Amino acid sequence: MLNKVQQLGRSTISSLERLGRGHLFFLQLLTALPTVLLRFPLLTQQLFSIGVLSFLIIFVSGLFVGMVLGLQGYNTLIDFGAEESLGVMVALSLVRELGPVVTALLFAGRAGSALTAEIGLMKATEQLSGMEMMAVDPIKRIVAPRFWAGVISMPLLAAIFSAIGVIGGYIVGVGLLGIDAGAFWSQMQPRVDLGEDILNGVIKSIVFGVVVSWIAVYEGYDATPTSEGVSRATTRTVVHSALAVLGLDFMLTALMFGE
Amino acid sequence: MGMSNSTAPLIEIRGLTFYRGDRAIFDNVDLDVARGKVTVIMGPSGTGKTTLLRLIGGQLRPDAGTICIDGQEVTTLSRRALYQLRKRMGMLFQSGALLTDITVHENVAFPLREHTKLSESMIRNLVLMKLEAVGLRGARDLMPSELSGGMARRVAMARAIALDPMMIMYDEPFTGQDPISMGVLVSLIRKLNDAMGLTSIVVSHDVAEATAIADHIYLISDGKVVEHGSPEQLKQSASPWVAQFLNGEPDGPVPFHFAAGNYLDDLLTEKRDVK
Ligand SMILES: Nc1ncnc2c1ncn2[C@@H]1O[C@H](COP(=O)(O)OP(=O)(O)OP(=O)(O)O)[C@@H](O)[C@H]1O
Ligand SMILES: [Mg+2]
Repeated sequence: MLNKVQQLGRSTISSLERLGRGHLFFLQLLTALPTVLLRFPLLTQQLFSIGVLSFLIIFVSGLFVGMVLGLQGYNTLIDFGAEESLGVMVALSLVRELGPVVTALLFAGRAGSALTAEIGLMKATEQLSGMEMMAVDPIKRIVAPRFWAGVISMPLLAAIFSAIGVIGGYIVGVGLLGIDAGAFWSQMQPRVDLGEDILNGVIKSIVFGVVVSWIAVYEGYDATPTSEGVSRATTRTVVHSALAVLGLDFMLTALMFGE
Repeated sequence: MGMSNSTAPLIEIRGLTFYRGDRAIFDNVDLDVARGKVTVIMGPSGTGKTTLLRLIGGQLRPDAGTICIDGQEVTTLSRRALYQLRKRMGMLFQSGALLTDITVHENVAFPLREHTKLSESMIRNLVLMKLEAVGLRGARDLMPSELSGGMARRVAMARAIALDPMMIMYDEPFTGQDPISMGVLVSLIRKLNDAMGLTSIVVSHDVAEATAIADHIYLISDGKVVEHGSPEQLKQSASPWVAQFLNGEPDGPVPFHFAAGNYLDDLLTEKRDVK
């Protein structure tokens, strides 16, 4: 009995410690920004492998999500004779919710897990320690460029996702189901608000970008330096990112749209 | 290097104490590393040889005691000063620790690119010189995954001497090597030490190789320095412990077992971790 209590206490303390270390780590990432900007080639290299290489999955997913929205939206709206509003519905769903959220989930699976595995393996093979002994700070040289590349890529990918999604909705709604193209676009134009809808969506995607990238690099950096430790850290990245994104999405939506 | 302290030890360790949990890895250890010499640290597996190198490199902080390197106290240095000091130390990790996503050439160039503003052609020449010194100039375009273990260690050596450090630390450079590459590494460590005016610390438990290159040997076990001296002095040591270690006898004063409770009790207890 006493053992159980002891164990509970110990694991609580150690997870609080981990949380604390994670926040200090976050501060280090923020303060490394000037170094990252000064060494621009390191950043562009990561922008390529994190952002550009995620483009295809974002493109394809965005297209399909938009097409599904077109189909489902049409079936619902036609009952009310409001199928001309399909454009508005597709655009608002994407810009406000699906764009940032689905992109963040895909991003965690595609780029986040890769980041964790890469940094964790570098730690397990003593490459990070080796760097420290060469008087090179691995946080500035390895971790921070990856974190910032993730932060920058995420809103751009979300914007691409939403744009492609709208096109997907157009293909289904206008191309397949025969809605008037003029109505599709002209209703969308005045009813999607720059500040209210687009800006809020961008804010969401920035928040998700920071959180997912932070979780990914921290899990890698804090991984137990064994192959098992790295694989567990990779799983944790995907699970924790998904939970964090969905939880935060609710809170942000409540703050932004919940009068 | 001032003339006045050129005979003083490069590294002076006094009263070093370091704990992992409740276990003392080092308990009040004194140790000197002479300038320009090859000092070998020997001891059974798990005594804390790697830990000692990490303490010297400032990656771990001792619980008590001082580590003085070339007049600087490592344990109290600021982060910036510590990084400054590390530019003058090379270290070879047990695994080599090469960066796996860049070529051999880029690995050796890495510290030069990070810490100097040399032109591309200067860097190329320096890298080729360092690789030539370890006999691997021809391997410059290979990736680390294409190297054998011995070659990877020699590349790591070239990288460790890239910035012309004052000292270099080798963690088990001989393990897993065939006799020929072992011989190559032994003579390389000696050659680099003498030709570049380095001070070398070699951690090893290969008795023959270690005694072949050592100017001075420290034997550590159970958190203490058991014996130290030149290889000849150690061979003549009266201590049964030293004799057991140097002759590689399986049991004797050095226990074969990691500290544990009574074996019979352990077997008879049903649940393992009852304290
Ligand atoms: N990260 C760690 N956390 C807790 N204990 C550790 C850690 N690293 C090492 N130890 C403990 O410290 C002791 C010394 O480890 P160290 O790696 O320095 O040994 P070593 O002398 O280099 O052994 P080997 O010859 O096998 O490389 C080990 O017995 C190990 O139990
Ligand atoms: Mg070791």
